[in-house]
Amino acid sequence: MVLKLYTYFNSINGKRAAITLHEKNVPFELHNIDLFAGEHKAPAFLEKQPFGLMPYIDDDGFILYESRAISLYIATKYADQGTQGLVPTEPKANALFHQAVYSEITNIEDPANKAVVEKLFKKALAGLDPDEEYYQKLITNLDSKLDVYEKILSKQKYLVGNEVTLADLHHIPYISLLPVTGCHSVDLRPNVARWFKDITSRKSWQAVKDGIKSTSTY
Amino acid sequence: MVLKLYGVAGWGSTNRILVILREKGVPYELHEVDTKNKEHKSAAFREKQPFGLTPYLDDDGFILYESRAISYYIAAKYANQGTQGLIPTDLKANALFQQALSNELCNFDSFARPLILGVLYQPQGVEVDHQAVDKMISALDEQLDVYDKILSKQRYLAGNELTLADLFHLTSGAVLPICGYHGLKTKPNVARWWNEISSRPSWQATK
Repeated sequence: MVLKLYTYFNSINGKRAAITLHEKNVPFELHNIDLFAGEHKAPAFLEKQPFGLMPYIDDDGFILYESRAISLYIATKYADQGTQGLVPTEPKANALFHQAVYSEITNIEDPANKAVVEKLFKKALAGLDPDEEYYQKLITNLDSKLDVYEKILSKQKYLVGNEVTLADLHHIPYISLLPVTGCHSVDLRPNVARWFKDITSRKSWQAVKDGIKSTSTY
Repeated sequence: MVLKLYGVAGWGSTNRILVILREKGVPYELHEVDTKNKEHKSAAFREKQPFGLTPYLDDDGFILYESRAISYYIAAKYANQGTQGLIPTDLKANALFQQALSNELCNFDSFARPLILGVLYQPQGVEVDHQAVDKMISALDEQLDVYDKILSKQRYLAGNELTLADLFHLTSGAVLPICGYHGLKTKPNVARWWNEISSRPSWQATK
């Protein structure tokens, strides 16, 4: 049975999972969740994803949530098809992979998520104006982390080494929204800009950036 | 050569790794980083950990940072000794394990850590913002209501076996009562789980 992805079609975290589906050429059905009607907080959704967050997948009855866990599952299950090497298996490379995956969450997702919510979602979802001072504090924090990325990416093509991995791809959805908030920190750092242009040119991001769609063939 | 951990005894992220080293019975040396004098922000330290954060691991010249990545590496490298099953290998069991790891960081620690910082680690002279703290306690409590539901159906967070995902909660969880949050003891299924994991010798030796 074809894999089902349950998420709002334009969800940041939904796109993270969808990128990997595309990288591995995995057919899937998008089941759109009505974000603005609060469908993700309704009992039927909470049965599957008890935190009321998107996305989750139903892989022939196997329910899984948290976009990075979904991404890792897809890359592992379909190891033999599509893009190779997304999850390095050699022990030290695997350790550096996990280091980069955790680095993304603690150093980038944390300030970027809050910046995007503050500047873009607070008005749309709660009708409140952004706190500019708070937003600037978040960007200053993010900038200090991107300075480190600039150094790392001056020595190697991608975050784990010279091959692309999920650790790189996981960064795309939040970072892609930063310019919309008025933050151009990526463009100001040549190596980060080079890296980000590379990973966002891939067909996987091109396929989902304007919204996730059911995909039956590749 | 024995593993060298560069961190701060008593700090959450260093302690997180010490629990796993103890579970797996792996010898190590803890090298204390002089954070009071900003050693972790020095150029020499940043050569190893470019974000200027503790801890990092030196395994015979192999440098690794991020406490959860270090813990994962130790559990995988020493898979055959000490506590078994901390990283499930079956495809679906591993996926549920990855889900639980993500829950720990994104749905628990991202709520617990700001609360801990807000109560215990305010800069000198800065008052605790009690309104903000109350909000954070409320938000954390909502997350643990979900944990209680999950733990009503299974013994641990990834299923019925203990994994790294459970153990990663110990260092932040243990400090929550001092911050005024007692949900780990008051929610019935969470309390059962918390008592189990916090009674383990590895935590008793670390806390």
